[in-house]
Amino acid sequence: MIKVSDLSKQFGELRVLKNINVQINKGECIAVIGPSGTGKSVFLRTIAMLEKPDRGTICINGTDITKKEINLNQIREKMGMVYQGFHLFSHLNVLENITLAPIWVKKQDRNVAKQKARELLSTVGLIDKAKSYPRELSGGQQQRIAIARCLAMEPEIMLFDEPTSALDPTMTCEVLGIIRKLTKMGLTMLIVTHEMNFAKDVADRVFYMDEGGIYEDGTPADIFDNPKKEKTKAFIRKLKIFNYEIQSTGFDMVSMNAQIEIFCQKYNVRAKQVYHIQLLLEELMMEIFKQCYEGAQPDMAFAIEYSDENNEISIYLTYRADDFNPFEYGGNDIDNLGMVLVSKISKKHEHLFENGRNKINIKL
Amino acid sequence: MNSFLEVIITSFQKNLIAGDAYLIVLKGLRVTILISALGLLFGTILGGILCCFRMSKITGLKRISQLMIAVLRGSPVLLLLMILYYVAFAESRIDPVIIAVIAFALNSGAHIAEVMRSALEAVDKRQLEAARMLGFSKTKAFFAITLPQAGKIAKPVYQSTIINIIQWTSVVGYITITDLTRTVNNIGARTGDPFFPLFFGILLYLGLSYLVYALFSIGKKRGEAI
Ligand SMILES: Nc1ncnc2c1ncn2[C@@H]1O[C@H](COP(=O)(O)OP(=O)(O)OP(=O)(O)O)[C@@H](O)[C@H]1O
Ligand SMILES: [Mg+2]
Repeated sequence: MIKVSDLSKQFGELRVLKNINVQINKGECIAVIGPSGTGKSVFLRTIAMLEKPDRGTICINGTDITKKEINLNQIREKMGMVYQGFHLFSHLNVLENITLAPIWVKKQDRNVAKQKARELLSTVGLIDKAKSYPRELSGGQQQRIAIARCLAMEPEIMLFDEPTSALDPTMTCEVLGIIRKLTKMGLTMLIVTHEMNFAKDVADRVFYMDEGGIYEDGTPADIFDNPKKEKTKAFIRKLKIFNYEIQSTGFDMVSMNAQIEIFCQKYNVRAKQVYHIQLLLEELMMEIFKQCYEGAQPDMAFAIEYSDENNEISIYLTYRADDFNPFEYGGNDIDNLGMVLVSKISKKHEHLFENGRNKINIKL
Repeated sequence: MNSFLEVIITSFQKNLIAGDAYLIVLKGLRVTILISALGLLFGTILGGILCCFRMSKITGLKRISQLMIAVLRGSPVLLLLMILYYVAFAESRIDPVIIAVIAFALNSGAHIAEVMRSALEAVDKRQLEAARMLGFSKTKAFFAITLPQAGKIAKPVYQSTIINIIQWTSVVGYITITDLTRTVNNIGARTGDPFFPLFFGILLYLGLSYLVYALFSIGKKRGEAI
């Protein structure tokens, strides 16, 4: 059990952690989320005493580890830390990376340590990489080795600081799969992550960090679906919004579509719907370019918002131009096929004109 | 063509075979190797000590070693050699070879201190922290992580330091030591055919450098480079 009382830490004038009080029970899995620079890493590092707190206590199983006479090496034997950048020992191969601490620190017999390392390598699915060097491995593989290296010390607590932030989506999956396995092993875990779906799934509790502390603390359902406090609400809402700005007719539409796809994947939006979003935006933009920005550079922005409750997608498009509503096209349908399509796809649409800006709100 | 070969063969006989000249050359080679090896050995020890001082938190030690390193690195080894021989040890009847060893130890020690320091500073601090998080004490982490990694970083520079020492020992003739360079020079002077013995001398120095290179390549394996 970890009990943090009245914990404060500042760097110079910057007060990063202010009077944190929190208790983490044995075997609990905590996801730590929050905007950048709110002290998530510092919080984790302080629990490991890599940063010395200015005030307050950290008790692990009843022992206050902030005391001077504590042997931190012994405490850290029972504590694993996994970093965003892996930090494997570059001069050693995979097997040696895993056995180094058991042999040097735990004085384990070489062969016993190797045997154990092989078992761990099978657990993380990398038994055939035992003799490889870190730089020969992909990021995902390196991170799995880093996890195995921690597990070799049989820790009771695991601290993860954005373990997948340096990885691409497939590698992220590999690593999250391993961490998921660990939750079933009764380890106490703190995971700083931007993978909200993962946090939702595996965490028993979520800490939202902001304003120098744990701003809101609750079950994943509390935090993600029903946040109580202002900043948490804003943070969670923002997660579900995709923003994009267009300032040139030659903007990169391929990249825009790719980003929309990635955003939608996070919320398991169906492929057909993704296609509809892309098609709708393209047609609308073409129409507006043609009518409002003939020979001029556009000033346009849109946001896509995903709502959990009814699986609804909203699109908010704004553009600075004279009052122009693309849905009110004259002439016949054949000449305006694009806009006909847009109207068909959208469930609801409206056009507003305020202060020189057109606004189109669409629900899908 | 034939006559060219003959010239070489006669030259070879005249310079290296006659009067067992090759034995004298071997003797000179021995002196060169002795001075280089001992100079390197003590230089490395001195370098280690200077490096420790240089990186220590005690300002006094740091300043002293900084000064020593700056002075020793900045002064030509030949002048150092002559100062030791003609000034510092002028009165004592100490063997000049020992003086040469001292000079080269001092000179290479300063270089090696800097090689060691830059290697130690180049070690990835994040890996060190990872080790501390696994329960390594500072000392254990130094021996398990810092030292082997710094060793690998320093290796190529250390190798060229050795080759430098070997070549710079060719100036010890100035303080009456008969090393390899002086030997081949003497032979050339005696036979009046300097080209062959001097060229042969270069070959021997090349051989020594190659030997150093070969020694360093032993045990080179896949995970070598960091
Ligand atoms: N060693 C340090 N010295 C000085 N300032 C630091 C140090 N470590 C962190 N900080 C500062 O403390 C604040 C919190 O940093 P921290 O790394 O914990 O943020 P974070 O929540 O982990 O952000 P991110 O999501 O970007 O990783 C930042 O403003 C950072 O600049
Ligand atoms: Mg961080």
